Amino acid sequence: MSAENRYPGYDVLAKREGLSWNDATRRTIDARLSLPRVPRFFTPAQWLTLQALCERIVPQPQDPDPVPLAAMLDARLLSGRTDGFRRAVLPQQDEAWRRGLAALEAEARTRYGGAFHELRAASQDELLRDLQAGRLSHEAWGGMPGNAFFAHRVLPDITSAFYAHPHAWNEMGFGGPASARGYVRMDFDRRDPWEAVEAAPGQERQALRDNHRVR
Amino acid sequence: MSAELAEHVVDEALRAPRALNGRAPDVFRVGGWVPMREYAADEAVDFVIVGTGAGGGTLACRLAELGFSVVALDAGPFFRPLEDFASDETEQTKLYWLDHRIVDGENPITMGGKNSGKAVGGSTVHFAMVSLRFRPEWFRSRSLLGYGADWPLDWREMWDYYTQAERALSISGPLTYPWGPKRPRYPYRPHELNAAALVLAQGAEAQGYRWTATPLATVSAPRNRSPPCVYRGFCRFGCATNAKQSALTVWIPRAIKAGAEIRDLAMAGRIETDARGRVTGVHYHRAQRWQFQKARNVVVAGYAIETPRLLLASASARFPEGLANRSGLVGRYLMTQSNQAVFGRLQREVRWYKGPPSLTISEHWNYEDRKDFFGGYCWMAQGPLPIEWATIQTSSRGLWGADLRREMLDYNHQVGLKMVGEMLPDERNRVTLADEKDQYGLSVARITYSWGENDKHLIHHALDQMQDSLERAGVTHLFRQEDDTNHLAGTARMGFDAATSVVNADCRSWDIPNLWVCDGSVFPTTGGVNPSLTIQAIALRTADRIKELAARGELS
Amino acid sequence: MNEDTPVTALAGIALVALGVAAVAAAGRRRPPRAAAPRASQRRSVPAARRLNRAAGTLAACVLSDSAVEHYRGAFHNKTMLAPLASATLSLAASAHGHADARARAHRMRDGVYALAIATGLVGTAFHVYNIGKRPGRFSWQNFFYAAPVGAPAALSLSGILGVAAERVRDTAPGRAPKLLGLPAGRALAALTSLGLIGSVGEAGLLHLRGAYHNPVMWAPVSLPPVSAALLAATAVSPSPRLRRLTKGWLRLTAIVGGIGSAFHAYGVSRGMGGWANWRQNLLNGPPIPAPPSFTGLAMAGLAALELQEQAGHER
Repeated sequence: MSAENRYPGYDVLAKREGLSWNDATRRTIDARLSLPRVPRFFTPAQWLTLQALCERIVPQPQDPDPVPLAAMLDARLLSGRTDGFRRAVLPQQDEAWRRGLAALEAEARTRYGGAFHELRAASQDELLRDLQAGRLSHEAWGGMPGNAFFAHRVLPDITSAFYAHPHAWNEMGFGGPASARGYVRMDFDRRDPWEAVEAAPGQERQALRDNHRVR
Repeated sequence: MSAELAEHVVDEALRAPRALNGRAPDVFRVGGWVPMREYAADEAVDFVIVGTGAGGGTLACRLAELGFSVVALDAGPFFRPLEDFASDETEQTKLYWLDHRIVDGENPITMGGKNSGKAVGGSTVHFAMVSLRFRPEWFRSRSLLGYGADWPLDWREMWDYYTQAERALSISGPLTYPWGPKRPRYPYRPHELNAAALVLAQGAEAQGYRWTATPLATVSAPRNRSPPCVYRGFCRFGCATNAKQSALTVWIPRAIKAGAEIRDLAMAGRIETDARGRVTGVHYHRAQRWQFQKARNVVVAGYAIETPRLLLASASARFPEGLANRSGLVGRYLMTQSNQAVFGRLQREVRWYKGPPSLTISEHWNYEDRKDFFGGYCWMAQGPLPIEWATIQTSSRGLWGADLRREMLDYNHQVGLKMVGEMLPDERNRVTLADEKDQYGLSVARITYSWGENDKHLIHHALDQMQDSLERAGVTHLFRQEDDTNHLAGTARMGFDAATSVVNADCRSWDIPNLWVCDGSVFPTTGGVNPSLTIQAIALRTADRIKELAARGELS
Repeated sequence: MNEDTPVTALAGIALVALGVAAVAAAGRRRPPRAAAPRASQRRSVPAARRLNRAAGTLAACVLSDSAVEHYRGAFHNKTMLAPLASATLSLAASAHGHADARARAHRMRDGVYALAIATGLVGTAFHVYNIGKRPGRFSWQNFFYAAPVGAPAALSLSGILGVAAERVRDTAPGRAPKLLGLPAGRALAALTSLGLIGSVGEAGLLHLRGAYHNPVMWAPVSLPPVSAALLAATAVSPSPRLRRLTKGWLRLTAIVGGIGSAFHAYGVSRGMGGWANWRQNLLNGPPIPAPPSFTGLAMAGLAALELQEQAGHER
């Protein structure tokens, strides 16, 4: 997992067979964990840009089994599920993503003379910071404000994919799915035996042991 | 619809109508059914109700119980929470109205989960269960407080309907409520408080403000087939426990038992009118085809976007501006509520994912008039789940990359206060029809919204107050979520005359006597509390009024 | 503290208690100080043993209830183990007293019962302190959900009944048993009446929290008060007719305690997930061990009546 491991040994999936998960939840999470990791909505070129973008928005350098963010976003766009609205300044989400990735690629080539996914991380970040600040204006954006694309598509779409994944719940110490069983102990500094233990400094081994008991 | 389905894994309810062939889903039993009366399409029923949420669901129940024949349409699926609800933020977006809409204006409203549901039971299937009464003065805010518009309703009458609604929903609330005129004891006791709720209490006490356990529509003890709340914390993503007392678990089962027919996955597209200028029924899309249900009365209860959309889309040669729109006010005076928040960190573990998110409340600034802006607000404890929390971090602080991931690790130590604030009615905030079409071929709604100066003042005041409260409670690393709204109101306001309002106090349209609107759209002002209980109280009153009018022969 | 701690703690306490009981039983073999007349023995000892059983029943309620509730509180303060230890000892002392046919107090039992009284008092102080420092302080919210104010008093009550049992047992031959200088039967009736009122108060509070959602929940707040009133009446002016009536109500109250647990078990089954989800529902549902405290108090009341009858014979 990540470098900083506050909940050592905690695995929300260990609760899968327990009382905290119902059938609907198991089917949902199973499907999420078995998504095909190839592009079905995006083109191979867009896919390369998107993967690089995802790695900058939610970096997972040390994760042995990183969350397949690009695949999750691809699946979502393929499904057609939307936010239920679009801001008038942005096109529909499919079009926004296609155009946004192409524009990002065009910006990279113009400024650095290379593909976005081949740039150094620092250069990618620099470009993204400019995008966030509304400083990019390549014609490839086709009138779509880059900062709106970044704020209302890039950030929410990629982060909501990551934080929908059990890996993210593990590192945050989130209890995860909870039905039929909910929680009993709700006061400060209290946890139920089926919740993650946060390791106090020097208590990592104890936390590891207790977290292995979470079911 | 078909493309949408691929994303939702547990989707039987979304694929085809369930309430068919003389039976409807039993919401309390996996795979269960209850018998349901059915009406023929060419049989003119007393009422067709479009929408089954807080307004339509409540009205369908009461009208059926009063002996009227009722068919209620809902565009959304008929869920059985025990088998259809996963404990998952993403999967449960299937509860939201995610059909296409366009938002614009200076402060475009975020739609979806914050304000609209698409299911039998409407938004109450995913609402946070906060069940509050208006401050009595708000029903006369123009006369008594100097802003907005007066309601044609008397607060004392509303007080009785609030009581009825609270009983019907077995609201769990404090033994005595600290603000406003005396009210009867809540039917069920308040819930145990989680740590996030206690932080609100500590802050309020340090400020010298009163606070209380929030009256919630989720039971603290068994009630019929509802087990008590298990504090799983997924309230806004559907209650898989059935502890939540929503329209789906309270009004709809009662309505069916009393002889109402509920048609799920039935999208109303147009209300038909005849040569006399009266409505005759509703065209709706169900099971891959357009159908028509004849009716003596039509009630539109689709909430503040879909209600004006349907009225506007039903324009005819006789009513070129849309139905009930001679005043030109259909779609106007749209209101949302300010939903800003302040968040911060505690050394102690809070784990705010446990329990209903808003277990405590302070309504101090709803009842304190020494301030330099109009309107009031309350604030409540918070408990966002991971995706929502990440979205707050990205939208409020623009965080991404390693910064975001590191910040998210503090999740179990975060606390926050979130306001529900009154926004003033403004004619320019409105719903219109756009050129784009949705999956049914209907014009989508364009929602235009800009905050006024007073709205900004109120928000600023609230943010300062909430920040002060958290600081006094020892919370550090504070930041503000400055751009968020929730709930809707307006767009078919009730009033005293046909020139300045769309419906009268009975929710009956001024223009077409057998056309009614019964949902949050009728609010002339929105108050500083969550609207669901007021919508239900109005629906209860409307049912009683319809019965009286019918008895006097004034219904048709 | 992790989840198997209470199990370990309970096992440990049970072992200690068994040890104490064994020592006490060994002490019994020493020859009695003075041979009491058989007639007197027959009179005071059965009542004393009845009181031991009442004290034991209360101790058992406290043991199981505080085990569950303090496990819920994750034993975050080590003193939360104290009532478990004290109640276990009281239970053992009561079992020992029940088996003891001699007309003589036992020093170890007296000590254990005195400890229970003290533990209950300290517990009450702790609980009051805890409520006082929570937001809302002495509010309904905290009476409903913070440390229960009345619960530790049940342990003190168990101790008082135990001490009373020893005093009654210790009555000199030919004398009528007395407590605090009052006729034992009447003093005990008054005490038990107070205990019943306290328990009714606690049941009333917790059933109010449950919104009396089931009409049966009115039973423990309507039947035992009658017993309490009747018992109080026998304390003021005992009469055989009143005692007969009181005895009937006390038996009913004892049954209410047993049936209460059954209803609470049903309540647990109504929680989401039912008994399979016992780790949640046992803790958040109605407390199964609580209602038999009415049974324990009814037993004490019956013992009081028995003592009154004996006093009547001797008068």
